Amino acid sequence: MDTSSPAIFVNGESLQMYVGKKVRSVVQVIKSDGGDMIGKSTDEHQWTIKGLSSAPLMSYVEVIGVAESNQSICAELWTDFGKTFDAYSYNQLCQLANGEFKALFL
Amino acid sequence: MGHRLSPDAIATLLSNPKPDSLSDIPEIIVQITKLEPKGKSYGFDANDGKMKIKAIFNSRLSSEITSGNIQNLGLIRILDYTVNEIPSKSENYLIITKCEVVSPAPEMEIKDEIRKEEAGIIFKPKQEHEIKIEVKKEPSGILLKPKREMATKSAAQIVHEQHRNMAPTARMAMTRRVHPLVSLNPYQGNWTIKVRVTSKGNMRTYKNARGEGCVFNVELTDEDGTQIQATMFNDAARKFYDKFQLGKVYYISKGTLRVANKQFRTVQNDYEMALNENSEVEEASNEAAFIPETKFNFVPIDQLGPYINSNELVDVIGVIQSVSPTMSIRRKSNNEIVPKRDITIADETKKTVVVSLWNDLATNVGQELLDLADNSPVVAIKSLKVGDFQGVSLSTLGRSIVQINPDTPESNKLRCWYDSDGKETSMASVGSGLSPSTKSGARSMYSDRFSISQITSNPSLGGDKPAFFSIRAYISFIKPDQSMWYRACKTCNKKVTEAVGDGYWCEGCQKNDTECSLRYILVVKVSDASGEGWVSVFNEAEKIIGCSADELDKLKSEKEGSSYQLKLKEATWNPHLFRVSVAQNEYNNEKRQRITVRAVAPVDFAAESRYLLEEISKMKDSP
Repeated sequence: MDTSSPAIFVNGESLQMYVGKKVRSVVQVIKSDGGDMIGKSTDEHQWTIKGLSSAPLMSYVEVIGVAESNQSICAELWTDFGKTFDAYSYNQLCQLANGEFKALFL
Repeated sequence: MGHRLSPDAIATLLSNPKPDSLSDIPEIIVQITKLEPKGKSYGFDANDGKMKIKAIFNSRLSSEITSGNIQNLGLIRILDYTVNEIPSKSENYLIITKCEVVSPAPEMEIKDEIRKEEAGIIFKPKQEHEIKIEVKKEPSGILLKPKREMATKSAAQIVHEQHRNMAPTARMAMTRRVHPLVSLNPYQGNWTIKVRVTSKGNMRTYKNARGEGCVFNVELTDEDGTQIQATMFNDAARKFYDKFQLGKVYYISKGTLRVANKQFRTVQNDYEMALNENSEVEEASNEAAFIPETKFNFVPIDQLGPYINSNELVDVIGVIQSVSPTMSIRRKSNNEIVPKRDITIADETKKTVVVSLWNDLATNVGQELLDLADNSPVVAIKSLKVGDFQGVSLSTLGRSIVQINPDTPESNKLRCWYDSDGKETSMASVGSGLSPSTKSGARSMYSDRFSISQITSNPSLGGDKPAFFSIRAYISFIKPDQSMWYRACKTCNKKVTEAVGDGYWCEGCQKNDTECSLRYILVVKVSDASGEGWVSVFNEAEKIIGCSADELDKLKSEKEGSSYQLKLKEATWNPHLFRVSVAQNEYNNEKRQRITVRAVAPVDFAAESRYLLEEISKMKDSP
């Protein structure tokens, strides 16, 4: 397992802390916009995911890439997680991973 | 009569069909006539002495009527109302949204004042004749309303008439006003009901501080399908026990009503009835077709969970999967031996459940079912108690009714399903499934959660009696060399021994069978984040290994043994939720902890995440 460049678990509110860094998150596909995708983070923020045009609508996808701004990610890898996903639990995970348990992740 | 009807009340209502505010409404007092239930509400004709208008009470007021507060022939002051027009009929009707009772029912419908003084009985030609007048023996000597138009009479006149007129039997036999069960209440004793006995309990004897006695009860159903339980003690019980026969229709009057004891109630009715020696019960002749047959309210097998250990009885319908032989069980309470038979039924929910038939149902009906078992008959059973043996279990009571292959739509639907899909579908027992939809199942996989190390590090667990826990763990190892299974009786699942000649002998069923089934019994190692431990598993292992013991045995005996090894390997490192019991065993004079798997369920990852988040927050809160 390559642990050289870990991707940080982010949601809407934590993305801004890691602009320019490698991040990972699960978003729900809202719509496709040319070569980009508009997605909803697990805490209801609207993001632009660049370089990802073919994701199925309303599916949850995990995106790993570099955070460009506090509202967009440039995707390097993505995985379709399907239509059933517990966004609440994932959101809690992001809060814990960036909060008091940060040391476990970075 | 202190209050009088408001003159031209109806005209007043019609002139202001939709009053703007409550203060807009003048004093309006009308009499209620022809009160009758209309669905959830009650309809009546509002009478102002001159005119009548069709009316209906807001359904919120229904309780006022069923409690006897608002009565037929009584007077009410209308506080809030609306008048609507039915365009197709060019008729108006009045909706009462708020009213107050001015006076209870007088002796008659108010026509105009003159009529009141007339003696003798006045019959309205187009209505039913009702001569029955009950004079209740109350200290105040109140004459109760007969619910039909009658002129005022003195009590003496009425008693005289009673004696003069008809003999009691003839009186009963006349066309009488029958009350729907739903309208009965404890405050009004003057009713007659026409009901079918849909269940008859056995006569029970009891002994308590006050002495000895006997009691039995019956379940009565009327034309609307409403049910009520009626109980009789001692003399009344003896008087009516033989009279009441299951399935027959009776006119009953002079019973008393009480609020039903929720703990013991078995039918859906707020009231229960008691009959004493003065109650009247008369068989209605030629009424075979009048009341609908036993009314069932089927609960699908996968929805039995909420009824576990409740007093409310359920009805089920299913296709017979197996019928056991009769077993003799000794009742702990009185050392009596009672016959019992277990049948397994399945329905479209693809779940099975075991129903225990007791007494007559075990011997007679049960034998019939055994004979028909190969044809997979449909069986409908009413009034079953739901227990928690093996998750969910059903038991018959004295009042239970069993119908085999009934000619009803539900039965036919089930038959169709079984013949097309059901026969081939593999079904799971509703008890062991413990899917989140069963309340009891979901609860137990998240209650008493322990980690493996919490169990293994505490040798005193399960010392007196077994302790139960739920764990989430991975299968870490299944020893391929153990025996994996035992030979079991196909009927009762107990261990069989090889018979003298051919086949196998079952000690429990006391019979030989050429075939037996293989059932799992093995030990398995499980691991979680805290540690590991060995557990015993029985037939739940099917869920772990992914095939039945018979199938696994076939794989094992294949010459090239790799498919067997592969099957076990595939089962390893899978997570499961386990419900386990922990007990202490003695082994070579040493106390050993024994962990046995009672149930297996798949991990619901979303639910598990929520559970973990909760545990994390609990850890944060505690010091």
